[in-house]
Amino acid sequence: MRRKVAFIPFSTILVFVLFVLSDASMIMRAAAQDATVPGSVSGTVVDASGKPIAHAALALTDAAGGQVAKAESDAAGKYGFSGVNEGEYNVTVSAAGFAVKTVHVIVTASQGLLDVSLAARSPANPAPSLNDLGFSTQQTESDPKLQAMLHRRTEMLRTHQRLGLITTIPMVATLFTGGGAKVEREGGQTTRGLNDANLDLHLALGAATGALYGTTAYFAIRAPHVPGTHKHGAIRLHEALAFVHGPGMLATGVLGYMAYKQENSGEKVHGIASAHGPVAVVTTIAYGASMVAVSWPIRVKFWEKKQ
Amino acid sequence: MRIALLLILSVAALPAFAQSDSQWQLEQSTLSYHMSHPMHELDGVSHAAKGKGTCHEGQCDFLIAAPVKSFDSGDTNRDLHMLETTRGARFPMVVVRTHFPASELSQGTVNADLEVQFAGQTAHYQNVTFQRTGQGKDVRITGTVPATCSDFKIDRPTFLMVPIKNEIPVKVEMRWREQ
Repeated sequence: MRRKVAFIPFSTILVFVLFVLSDASMIMRAAAQDATVPGSVSGTVVDASGKPIAHAALALTDAAGGQVAKAESDAAGKYGFSGVNEGEYNVTVSAAGFAVKTVHVIVTASQGLLDVSLAARSPANPAPSLNDLGFSTQQTESDPKLQAMLHRRTEMLRTHQRLGLITTIPMVATLFTGGGAKVEREGGQTTRGLNDANLDLHLALGAATGALYGTTAYFAIRAPHVPGTHKHGAIRLHEALAFVHGPGMLATGVLGYMAYKQENSGEKVHGIASAHGPVAVVTTIAYGASMVAVSWPIRVKFWEKKQ
Repeated sequence: MRIALLLILSVAALPAFAQSDSQWQLEQSTLSYHMSHPMHELDGVSHAAKGKGTCHEGQCDFLIAAPVKSFDSGDTNRDLHMLETTRGARFPMVVVRTHFPASELSQGTVNADLEVQFAGQTAHYQNVTFQRTGQGKDVRITGTVPATCSDFKIDRPTFLMVPIKNEIPVKVEMRWREQ
């Protein structure tokens, strides 16, 4: 008795065999990939004359065009890719002023050496240069004289700033010692006479303030003016306030001397001399405001929350 | 069948289109450096940059330059001091050169290696990311160059004896037009 055998078409068997084989090959390929030992590619990028090219950009791409790694040549033109799986890659090398070059490489487990020579870029397609941008010579030309002038200006203004800060100390102290340096009267009677020690201290502090102030002003006034500069911003307020505290400093001294003469001759301070104190206060306020103005905008960071 | 073939050809031609030769002109720009001090936070802004770019054989070269003295922090005195500190009279231009694959021009982000000449020094910044927006011939590029004073051997200016931070990041906003 003949047994009935189910008929399987040959094409179905072929498809099945191919499927199993292709799957097996994929598994084998994946296993082979897992087993690859990383290799490396390194070398030097040079120009046509053999001179090293620094900062050339190198890109390592796989067969599918995907970027695997990037590198940049150093000052000696040297570069390197390490930890690269075995296989076929392209190394694209580019540098400003040179034509791009792509080299096909096969990476193995051993260290691969690849020196690349770049040809100068075709004159028909030059990289843009500063001359192409349309700046005037005046804008692009180096001016060492101006640099020297700026340097002198900065040094003088730095001294101006430091002396200005130092001047604040005797100025404020003069203001505070002013009260103890004058005669006090009540109902026509002298309740406190001229105290020589207080007066001397007030005078000495005033003189120190005047001398320091004058020197501070000298460094600002004599600092070179940079031609073609139109002042704007907080510096304008700083300078405008000098027209208040400058005459104020002179007036304070003159009025102080007048007040001293009047008190010394037993008179009550009168007339314009009585403005000595108020003028000194206004002068000090204007001076302080000018320091704040030149430092503007001030942001006290410790008041803010850290982000 | 013919339509399908055309579609396949169009898709295949896309990378080639992206890498075609092109010329670019900087139409508008805002470059601003940020200076940080415990008592100051300042930005110096310049709108005077000019730039040009060329793409050839899949690679682009771009050049952007601005006069150092064009940066305005809102105060003449400070700007003149910055000009002195950065040796801006001897080296009056800040020049940025970049080189990148043309394919990046059609992507949302452009990763570029920059060569910056400033204050008589040259610094290189790798893989600086810029955002690219815009369509057609107009492209807007924004990003920040992580510059520092020490990159250019600039003595950090001081205020009340305290120096500014070493980091002076330069924010870049540019509108480029393909010629």
